[in-house]
Amino acid sequence: MSTRWYPIYQRGNPQLRVFLPNFWMKLIRPTEEQPPNVVTFSVSMEMTKYDVRNYLEKIYKLPVVDVRTRIAMGETKKDQTYGYITKKDDVKLAYVTLPREESFVFPDFFSEKAEKQAKEEKSLDESKAGFRRFLDRNKKRPGTPGWFSI
Amino acid sequence: MSSALIKCLNLAKTVGNATVRSFLAAPKQPWQSCSAAALQTPHVQMPMQMHTSAVRRDLMEFFDDKKNWSENEVKVGRAWRTEELRIKSNKELHQLWFVLLKERNMLLTMEHECNDKMEVFPSPERIDKVKISMENLETVVRERNKAYHLLETGETGERPQKAVKNAFGLQVSYKACEHALPPFMNLKWIKSRNIGYGGRAVNRFLLKYREKLYNAKRKAKNRSRNEVMMILRRNPNFDLDVLRRQFPDVNVDKLRNEDKIRGHYVPKVGV
Repeated sequence: MSTRWYPIYQRGNPQLRVFLPNFWMKLIRPTEEQPPNVVTFSVSMEMTKYDVRNYLEKIYKLPVVDVRTRIAMGETKKDQTYGYITKKDDVKLAYVTLPREESFVFPDFFSEKAEKQAKEEKSLDESKAGFRRFLDRNKKRPGTPGWFSI
Repeated sequence: MSSALIKCLNLAKTVGNATVRSFLAAPKQPWQSCSAAALQTPHVQMPMQMHTSAVRRDLMEFFDDKKNWSENEVKVGRAWRTEELRIKSNKELHQLWFVLLKERNMLLTMEHECNDKMEVFPSPERIDKVKISMENLETVVRERNKAYHLLETGETGERPQKAVKNAFGLQVSYKACEHALPPFMNLKWIKSRNIGYGGRAVNRFLLKYREKLYNAKRKAKNRSRNEVMMILRRNPNFDLDVLRRQFPDVNVDKLRNEDKIRGHYVPKVGV
């Protein structure tokens, strides 16, 4: 639960507690279809499935039934001009199974944003129309300023 | 536990509309804005522990507030400073650590989703503020740990360090660590240690390396001296005390007798 140095555990010794865990976890949208009670996380590379279970049970108070972890290899890409290969970092993914009666749906964050953008575009169109009407007033009198009017 | 809960709830009532977490998270000075952790997690910590049925709510802890989902900017305060954390108790520091931990996970989750959907992640500096707060908190905890060990045992309690020379003959700091086997049995450790260095190549490398360091120092010294000469040449009445303070390596008094600081002008002679 931590990347710091701790005394070596020998069998029979008391289990030391980690007071300041510094591993991170982020909840990501699953790429494949999952049962509703399975949640996908991207976790620190040093975490084991026992760490994931302890993290969720002790810190987030979630009931965890099963945890499976796997390391996904980062994608490699070859430069078209010079031919060198770049590779993204490997990522450790954790698939956490919640109790059967639980279900989780990944929320959609940006639908409200789309509505807001549409509203803003509408107001922008209205501004453009007003400006066009303002210009059309003196269309037949070239050279006169905009405020010139009867 | 229940008495602590009641005490915290009473404290929340006495504070007013401020939540316990805001009280713990807010800095002492009233004119400073709240930190990132307080604004991003407005829920009271104790009632969250009381009701245990909100599992979906707990998973939603990985996400931001709903009103921030469609925002382009989220206004938060600055990071926690070391001086503010030093006046807090160990229990408060522990609680604050978990607040910052959840905050960091939430921000990483939102950043990942925004990157996936090719949307703008609002106020990405929040991650840096949380990171700085965590570093400062670790610094304070380490200070207290060291002070406790010095008081109780006379030693700092950290890994012992020793200055040794590596295979190139350069001095590095070796941090000792614990092993399961004693030294005479630990063959892997014995093989991994590079005790001593030698050979003609290392001596020649060290000669060239020291020459390089000496040359860098000499050039820096000459650069300072030339700078002082040019200043005195262009400005003959420059304040010498300022020069002495700013260039302690240069002998300003000796330099005043040099011909190089004489400028291209004819001095006025009182006739």
